[in-house]
Amino acid sequence: MSVYASPEEYGLADLLCCAASHEVLDNEIVFAGTGLPMVAIMLAQQTHAPNLKLIFEAGTLDGRPPEIPTSVGDARCEMGASRSSGLYDAFSIAQRGYVDLGFLGGAEVDRYGNVNTTCIGDYLNPELRLTGSGGNPDINSFASRTVFIMVHEKRRFVENVSYITSPGWRVKKWPGGEFVHRRELYGAAYRGGPSAIISTLGVFRFDEQDGHMYLDTCHPGATPDAIKTQCQFDLDISRVKGETPPPTTDELRLVHELLDPDEIFIPKTKKS
Amino acid sequence: MSNSKRITLQQAAEIIKDGSSLTFSGFTIWRRPMAIVYELIRQSRRGLHLIEVQGGSETEFLVGAGCVDIWESCWVGHELYGKYGANLSRKVAEKKIVVEDYSHAEMLFRFAAAASGAPYAITQTSLGTDIHNPEYDMLGRAGLRDGTRIAKHKYQFTEDPFYGAGSLVLVPAAKVDIAVLCVQQVGEEGTVRVNGQYYSDPEIARAADITIVMAEEIVPEEYLRRNADQNTIATFEVDHILECPFGAHPTGMFGKYDVDGAFLKEFYTNTRTQEGYDAFAKEWIHGLDHISYLEKLGWPRMLELRANTAMNYSPREKKGGN
Repeated sequence: MSVYASPEEYGLADLLCCAASHEVLDNEIVFAGTGLPMVAIMLAQQTHAPNLKLIFEAGTLDGRPPEIPTSVGDARCEMGASRSSGLYDAFSIAQRGYVDLGFLGGAEVDRYGNVNTTCIGDYLNPELRLTGSGGNPDINSFASRTVFIMVHEKRRFVENVSYITSPGWRVKKWPGGEFVHRRELYGAAYRGGPSAIISTLGVFRFDEQDGHMYLDTCHPGATPDAIKTQCQFDLDISRVKGETPPPTTDELRLVHELLDPDEIFIPKTKKS
Repeated sequence: MSNSKRITLQQAAEIIKDGSSLTFSGFTIWRRPMAIVYELIRQSRRGLHLIEVQGGSETEFLVGAGCVDIWESCWVGHELYGKYGANLSRKVAEKKIVVEDYSHAEMLFRFAAAASGAPYAITQTSLGTDIHNPEYDMLGRAGLRDGTRIAKHKYQFTEDPFYGAGSLVLVPAAKVDIAVLCVQQVGEEGTVRVNGQYYSDPEIARAADITIVMAEEIVPEEYLRRNADQNTIATFEVDHILECPFGAHPTGMFGKYDVDGAFLKEFYTNTRTQEGYDAFAKEWIHGLDHISYLEKLGWPRMLELRANTAMNYSPREKKGGN
């Protein structure tokens, strides 16, 4: 029986990592990003989802890396994999509809789960140019579910993102740019959309019918009202289930002893 | 015949002219042809048009040096060692570069189209995003869409005429002058063997008009032809070859050496400003050649990065780059 860790035994990164891990179901095909999500997926593989299949965007198919890769292009990705290939394979497989779940990040998000990783401010005259899309919109277009892990700040949970890099539940129909449900645009390729945002304050989900975000659970110490004040849009807090479950002692042991012992992505709170 | 494709590092850079369009092997911080990138910077190449499936450290070095006028891609940064492309970001703010954004899959499919001789690719990615905002066609805004090497349109929409699958986006084939690859082995006649993930190397090599392959080692063709099933690119797709050990440093190479995370972190931290970039380039690029660059790095660092041949990466290199 699993035992929840006490508050002084874990940090915020542990909580996010474990919450992300809980989004993975067994037997799923999961598209892995770099960083904390990779630890989360490998944690799921070690716990409740031993049969998940991992795809790295750079071309590793059904990867079982014995140690955590630093990025999806890393030489550590392919050791033990079913196949080492390239991006054409990874993206074709995603477009074909194999991918159940993808983990992504973002600088800004709106109430429909539209995410920006491209620029802050007007695109034509930006305050800050960011990394750009990478595979964020592709995974978000092709996967059945996507989970975003984000820092929660009021300037990031906005009424309108500076640039829609990655499609949420209500997206722009071109050439006019009016918002429509993504189901109208994606046709036969419609498989779902963002299923959760795990922020540093709580876990948020989406109403699939009208596409709006609602608060699902609050991280320990946060309240629905306090979280609502950290959003520029009017956050729906009517469906809150309670508190985000803390990590178990087993999960913490796996993260820090097996998966990320060098603290590359997840710092240790309590030195053993 | 056997030596006809061999060139030097300096000659490789000279094939790339001011205004050439250019693409690279690798993925973000892995197998980038950095020795040729450094040589382009030493030769003060100008007006380059980079068309990359995704950018990485090579983009940041070239952009910081002022070599690039147009960057068409989807992402730039140094992964764990630098979270965004600070040099690109600075040049965007100063309006010294035209950036055309596509998604990662769109860029990949654009190269796959070019590699198969198709004029465009069809996909259902990124619908409803600002990537398809007609106001954000930056090459169009710059008046560069002449329909020769740069397509008349950034994208077009259509409906599936066969199965009624709905909206589709057409993206133009990536027509690129030169692909520069950095790989583990090339044969004397140009057969390429890539070990590990081959990223988008097969597509970019086939798409480009001229393909230059820089390898850790040039090996006898006969050796590669003994196991043709393990080879990645055929001889006639490759125009020029050169041998350049540690040519991808500070990016990594599967089976040979790891990413030099500390080096990239230092580059990222110190090149936020143009003055910082210029100082970094003065120390590590200008006035050096590849051998003196490796001498400056030194054996201890290179041995630390060297991959274990059973594991294909370095178990010694501390991954955090500290």
